[in-house]
Amino acid sequence: MQDDKRYKVRDNQLINICKNTASRINKHAVDEFEIFTASSVENEIEIFKGKVETLSFSDSIGIGIRIFKDKSIGYAYTTVLDESSIEDCICKAVSNCKITGREDYNYLPGEEESTFKQKLIGDKSLFKEDFLNYNIESKVALAKRLETLTKSKDARIVDINNVMYDDSIYETAILNSAGFCDKYKTTTCLIYVSAISKQGEDTSTGDFFGCGRTLGDLDLEEVAEKAAGRSVSILGGKKIKSQRVDLLLDPIVSAQFLGVIAGTLTADSVQKRKSLFEGKIGQKIFSIDVDIFDDGTIPDGLSSKPFDGEGVIKGKTCVFKDGYLKTYLYNTYTARKDKTLSTGNAVRASYRSTPEVGISNFYLEPSDIDFNQLLGDIDRGFYVIDIIGLHSGANPISGQVSVGAKGIWIENGNLSYPIKEVTIATDILSFCSSIKKVGNDLRFIPSGGYIGSPSLLVRDIMVGGN
Amino acid sequence: MIEDRLTKEILNTLLRSGADFSEIFIQRRVSNNLRLEDSKIENSSSGYELGCGLRLWVGDSTFYAYVDSLEKNKLLNAAKVLSSSINGSSSLKVLNLTETKSSYSTSVKKFPGKIHPGSKKNILESVDKSSRDFSSTIIQVTSTLSDTREEIYIANSYGAFSFEKMVKTFLAVNVVARKGKDIRTGYKSLARASGYETFDFKNPKSLAREASKIAVKMLDAVNAPAGELPVVIGPAFGGVIFHEACGHGLEADAILKGASVFKDKIGKKIATSMITAIDDSTLEYHWGSYKFDGEGYPSSKTVLIKDGILQSYIYDLRTSKKLGAKQTGNGRRQSFRHVPVPRMSNTYIESRDEDSGSIIKSVNKGIYAREFAGGQVDPATGDFVFGISEGYLIENGKISFPIKDATLIGNGPDILKKIEVVARDLDFAPGFCGKSGQLISNEVGQPTIKVSKITVGGTEN
Repeated sequence: MQDDKRYKVRDNQLINICKNTASRINKHAVDEFEIFTASSVENEIEIFKGKVETLSFSDSIGIGIRIFKDKSIGYAYTTVLDESSIEDCICKAVSNCKITGREDYNYLPGEEESTFKQKLIGDKSLFKEDFLNYNIESKVALAKRLETLTKSKDARIVDINNVMYDDSIYETAILNSAGFCDKYKTTTCLIYVSAISKQGEDTSTGDFFGCGRTLGDLDLEEVAEKAAGRSVSILGGKKIKSQRVDLLLDPIVSAQFLGVIAGTLTADSVQKRKSLFEGKIGQKIFSIDVDIFDDGTIPDGLSSKPFDGEGVIKGKTCVFKDGYLKTYLYNTYTARKDKTLSTGNAVRASYRSTPEVGISNFYLEPSDIDFNQLLGDIDRGFYVIDIIGLHSGANPISGQVSVGAKGIWIENGNLSYPIKEVTIATDILSFCSSIKKVGNDLRFIPSGGYIGSPSLLVRDIMVGGN
Repeated sequence: MIEDRLTKEILNTLLRSGADFSEIFIQRRVSNNLRLEDSKIENSSSGYELGCGLRLWVGDSTFYAYVDSLEKNKLLNAAKVLSSSINGSSSLKVLNLTETKSSYSTSVKKFPGKIHPGSKKNILESVDKSSRDFSSTIIQVTSTLSDTREEIYIANSYGAFSFEKMVKTFLAVNVVARKGKDIRTGYKSLARASGYETFDFKNPKSLAREASKIAVKMLDAVNAPAGELPVVIGPAFGGVIFHEACGHGLEADAILKGASVFKDKIGKKIATSMITAIDDSTLEYHWGSYKFDGEGYPSSKTVLIKDGILQSYIYDLRTSKKLGAKQTGNGRRQSFRHVPVPRMSNTYIESRDEDSGSIIKSVNKGIYAREFAGGQVDPATGDFVFGISEGYLIENGKISFPIKDATLIGNGPDILKKIEVVARDLDFAPGFCGKSGQLISNEVGQPTIKVSKITVGGTEN
């Protein structure tokens, strides 16, 4: 918080907590165990009209214990790390084994069960020493600068209703009874701004964000420009008639759709018969040659890490190649069920949860077609700048998608008038086969993983209006 | 949960560099979570969290920090560090602490800790069996059961403190049905601010059957229409329309920032005179109820709209002070890790005298929306959406085919003027609401209503 309070790397502290806990667990009658610890130190700053509105500091730590006994798993976590709380936590995890279902695949991952054999990324890429040089005052100043900068972009911007700066130093360690013991640390920072613009009676909002490993990675100019542009470009927007048209999806929108698809590609959802991609390995899902990867080793990928939530080494997995579905994403348990190897996709949201299957950096490979070429390829269409209601409007199991949208009408390859209060509706499989062109402007969004997509040209989708 | 002397020492340490206000929020949370899928208990997890959030104000700025501990040294150190983030001095000092009273009181009959894990397992297994027995088209049942016990102590530099013990239970079931290539889902949840007597209030098996019925009915769904249509919105979860179209826009932080379409509208007619809307955090055992809000202020019933006229916004301490209004007990927070902000509790539209059946009859061509997947709003523009998860076509005054999921989109102030009829079948539904990165429990509620025209986001022209 002050310069003399510079963050001190916890280094072996987390490993030591794991080791001490392990020696406690060894006194209990269990078959196997895994200890996951994580600590984070965070700053969150909100600015309103040039002043600090909220400034929060946090420093937290927690431990999650997974116990394997008679092929059943029990879990417990605690944020209080004194001896008696940890002992309680162990006892609860042991007792939780008694009611969960037995399953032959319930045992710790072995070294030979990983697709990737060598750690491909580490603290050098994930943790930026430079980040520690910024004090709280410089972070506040940065957020204030973003507010002023965004406001200055257009005379029609009347208010900045939200400016946020958020960062964290995260350290984690896993130790299990099969011999795994390792740690890593990361730094991340995020800025966000939302601008209100007015023209006559009409009000519009637009937002944008930037993120990186250290403050130097944040491009304030770009964030301000985009937020302002997204706000004013919709001013005076109107509803259009319901009709089927071509859509040009902004990367931010494309990435959100891709996120819905990503959720259905986990082996867990497939094995539980909750995925539209069940039984579709080897089939052509996209009508064009689309490549999609999950890559946990991209140097500036915010979801990169050396190993996953159960200690399996992370790598790069090709999920779609030339539009064909190649593989699902696996953790050890689901891989054993499908008689294959883990792709290193065990994900833990925090020490509060057990490892589930999920994405890391998940992206659609860009082409060399630029935005204007995509635009020029549309006679009548809808350039979608923003969508609303994806969490309630997309059902990843049934595949139906219906969301609110705003953007700009496209006439003969040119941007025409703004549109708002309309919907776009499709289903996941139709959406995949309706993608006809992919842009070159790949952009990632942090959203339950780090999801990236370029602009997408999608033909013949229903837009609901009046 | 800590000694009065230490509380005062912390509050005064927070004040000493010139703060106008200081607060301490202590929370102990014990939780258990069970998940059933593939007809077996897949996850059994227990959590223990204990921590303290410290807050101070100086001018318009809020400073916040928290620690995962109640150790005296750690608390005092955090208070020192937090107060050193401002430069000044203060003569404010807390000398006495007085306990705040609340009129809301409940009693827990079946404490989660006294329920045998085997009985909890039985609840989920009965949900699984009831769902699968409902139809052979059902291919998956996911059900979660969680219980939490919380103790919350809040004290502030005004010399007030509050203490609350809270027990909550939650059961959710998601059913997947399949016919040929079509996969459909049905979801229902049951959640109360009470112990395991929640399941005497409603039988888990009937919850399972309700969810199953939705999934199976939806297997015959036709494409939803696209365009503007009259929509009859069913009771209970239908209240999500008010939550999104109006509720969030009445939360006073949006008003304070000029980021709400309902700014400067108190005393003005913002809805049809059919609409009386309430936020009530004192409804006994409801999911969004509490004794004290996240700032130690007692829960209360607030009339938001009376016969179409806006009466009040939804306030926390900070916004009520800034806007010169009375606190409404809506300063809520997810946990000790979060700053309180104005949030709804149990928010609903009151019953009128219409019969819901006659509302359906009055529609020639439209939609009947029965269950919802949630919604979202941009309070600054009033544009909002909510997703139908169980809907039907209305043709010639009768409910006909089920329709595939569709989102409805509208503008809050505009739609409030299009609510033409309100029935008398008020009911509530529990859920979670996300705002400012915080997830909290709340309820929506309403009787059946009719909206004369709203855009339906289907695929059929």
